Amino acid sequence: MFPQLPTGALSQFPLRKRRAARTVVNTTADGRTIKLPDVAAQITEWQLQYTGLSDAELATLEQFFAAMEGSLNGFTFLDPNGNLLAWSDDPSQVEWQKASYLTLTGGGADPAGGTRAWHVANSGAGAQSLSQTLNAPAVYVYCLSVYARAAQPTAIGLLLGSQRAACLLGTAWNRFTITGTGDAEATSISFGIELPAGAAIDLYGPQVEPQASASAYKSSTTGGVYENAHFRDDVFTYTSTGVNRHSTTVNILYANHL
Amino acid sequence: MATFPKLKTNAVAQYPATRALRYQNQTVRFLDGTDQRYRDASGPLHRWVIRLSELDEGELAEMEGFFLSNQGQFGSFVFVDPWDDTSYPSCSLAGDRLDLTAIAEMQGQTILTVVENRT
Repeated sequence: MFPQLPTGALSQFPLRKRRAARTVVNTTADGRTIKLPDVAAQITEWQLQYTGLSDAELATLEQFFAAMEGSLNGFTFLDPNGNLLAWSDDPSQVEWQKASYLTLTGGGADPAGGTRAWHVANSGAGAQSLSQTLNAPAVYVYCLSVYARAAQPTAIGLLLGSQRAACLLGTAWNRFTITGTGDAEATSISFGIELPAGAAIDLYGPQVEPQASASAYKSSTTGGVYENAHFRDDVFTYTSTGVNRHSTTVNILYANHL
Repeated sequence: MATFPKLKTNAVAQYPATRALRYQNQTVRFLDGTDQRYRDASGPLHRWVIRLSELDEGELAEMEGFFLSNQGQFGSFVFVDPWDDTSYPSCSLAGDRLDLTAIAEMQGQTILTVVENRT
């Protein structure tokens, strides 16, 4: 897995990301087009520019590059500027694990002025959770955030691996977060929201990021975990700008067809 | 039918924005210097270059999601011309590549080019 910096961040600003698709286009004489998509040929590329790295941080990156033997071996890369959850606006999708006594109703007014909030009710006699499991290294620092409110004061739990944070909901929208890591040996980690028996809440904008605190909410469909990403290049170049200060740029490539 | 996403300000584009109108005509030139011209298509096609900056992470993700859902230039959508509010029912992105840059927090940048399709 690609190493996090000691701050818990995966990258620094500026961060560049490129999405590339492939479309076969047949243009007729009158200007009309016939198009065929090539879904398997999609490529995502990140350019990570690091400055002010310490000796230890640079060594970590260099050792990882050596372990991957440049562009040869694949690794799991988490989008540093993305929401790792898939279908963050639609918990009815199969990526979400919904406990059997939870009911979900979409189309509610959300705090961003849209209608992407969900009403979640627990009709069971015990706590029930809505969660998503990511095939991502559990040893990373993650931040789970979600907007929530309830008609009556309600205590819910935010779940991050085996950790749980209690949150008290009021009638106004508030954003709640939990930051932490999972089990060091695990290759997957679960994130979720736990409702006590009989609770009914409004939910919007669940987001997981590979960093210590939450950034602005980003709606997602595909999620941000990229298994089998590669370094684009076979060369790792860095510049030492002072004692214990280094800078480098790495390019990460993820191709659907690889 | 999908619609081109708006920013949180409800705007479609920012300054500087570029708009182009393209006709498709043919010209046959003769030895005596005269020429004969004719239309090679039924009408003009529009093209807009939308340069966006100072986007927050949510807006940048919205543009990325729109590119993904369209699979680059494959999909088509409704585009409302920010100059005159005319709705163009069949438009596509011009290319199969999208560059997204986060200069700093809430300083995202990207450029999308929209072309009107011949229908």
